[in-house]
Amino acid sequence: MHSESDLEILMARYQQGDYAAATALIHQLSAQLHRFFLVQSAGRGDADDLLQETWLRIHEVRHTYRTGEPVLPWFYAIARHIRVDHYRKSRRTAGREQPLEEVPEPAAVQPSASRSAGDLQELLAPLPESQREVIEMLKVAGMSLEEVARATSSTVGSVKQKAHRAYAKLRERLSSAGLSEGRAGGPA
Amino acid sequence: MKDREIDAILNQAAQAPHEVDPALLASIANSVGRSLDPVRPLPPSWTLAGGLFLIGAAVATAGAGRLGFYGIHKMSVLDRALIFPALGLLMWLAATTCVAEMIAGSRRRVSPAILVGAGSLALVGVFAILFRDYHTHSFVHQGVACLTAGLLHAIPVALASWFLLRRGFAVNPVAAALVAGTLAGLAGVTMLELHCPNFEAPHVMLWHTAVVPVSGAAGALLGWLRHRQG
Repeated sequence: MHSESDLEILMARYQQGDYAAATALIHQLSAQLHRFFLVQSAGRGDADDLLQETWLRIHEVRHTYRTGEPVLPWFYAIARHIRVDHYRKSRRTAGREQPLEEVPEPAAVQPSASRSAGDLQELLAPLPESQREVIEMLKVAGMSLEEVARATSSTVGSVKQKAHRAYAKLRERLSSAGLSEGRAGGPA
Repeated sequence: MKDREIDAILNQAAQAPHEVDPALLASIANSVGRSLDPVRPLPPSWTLAGGLFLIGAAVATAGAGRLGFYGIHKMSVLDRALIFPALGLLMWLAATTCVAEMIAGSRRRVSPAILVGAGSLALVGVFAILFRDYHTHSFVHQGVACLTAGLLHAIPVALASWFLLRRGFAVNPVAAALVAGTLAGLAGVTMLELHCPNFEAPHVMLWHTAVVPVSGAAGALLGWLRHRQG
């Protein structure tokens, strides 16, 4: 996690054309942006492409960041736009393509309550996209409700509601996983 | 399972290290470094919103000046005291929302769709309070003339707004265009209130107010078409 003021300083220096600041930002924020794309069901290759595209767009529109405003919502709003755009374009392309054969649906992964350091991507997989991105921003990026609302162009109330629903769904899934594990591991 | 336990599981999963290919980071840094000129940040939001507001007010006043200030001359003090502050407030709200839509990560006070809907309803409400003449005379003919005049005055406001905000970056181009269209429509209604001496309630409530949603919808359509092509 990085301090918001450090990022603001780096961003201001990046706008002034400082290569070291640009590189520092790329190194500090790329991992969490990459993870953001992975959590949103992108494959590793897609996540790499989306990350690259996001940085190019950030570079193009770096003048739209204003000092004093929170940095992370600005980055995430652009990353989110790139992801949505990519999804829209790939859907349009998929609509024009004829599938060669039926691809079997991947089996749903049952999350395990005991897997503490489990894969975040797997853990959030059952959630709808909008809830997944809210949880990812709150828990991985460490953003506040207000910042998530800014990044997703919504209100704090709507973010709270999505987080609440996501927790309810996760509770249900994790509890049932814990219950089935308990039954399987119980005495005969 | 309690929220605290879910928190703990999520936090642990989030803390698992995640690496990005160093070659990819180097390639991004190289691409960025190739064109790293200093840039001038956008001016503060209130400056841009003020600019948009002034553009709307100036076009409305100039348009009414050209066609004649018959409407405002015929109005009572109460009419003026309610209609123009309401329009001013809605225009300011539309201008700030428009600026927020053009800058990624901005705080949204109101969603664009709610702005169009609630703004139009608020105008209908103000007109319903003030105008009680429910007779109609050449309802469609006069109405279409007013709607056309309002929309024609909305066009320069939309173009000037686009020029002012061209350096921004809309993460949702359709929403941004919807708000810009709404702002332009409100300028069109302001021009009609200054100019139009027809105070029949159905005329004002339907044809004057319609400029806002029609202009907003036209903006959203253009935004959508441009986004599809882009």
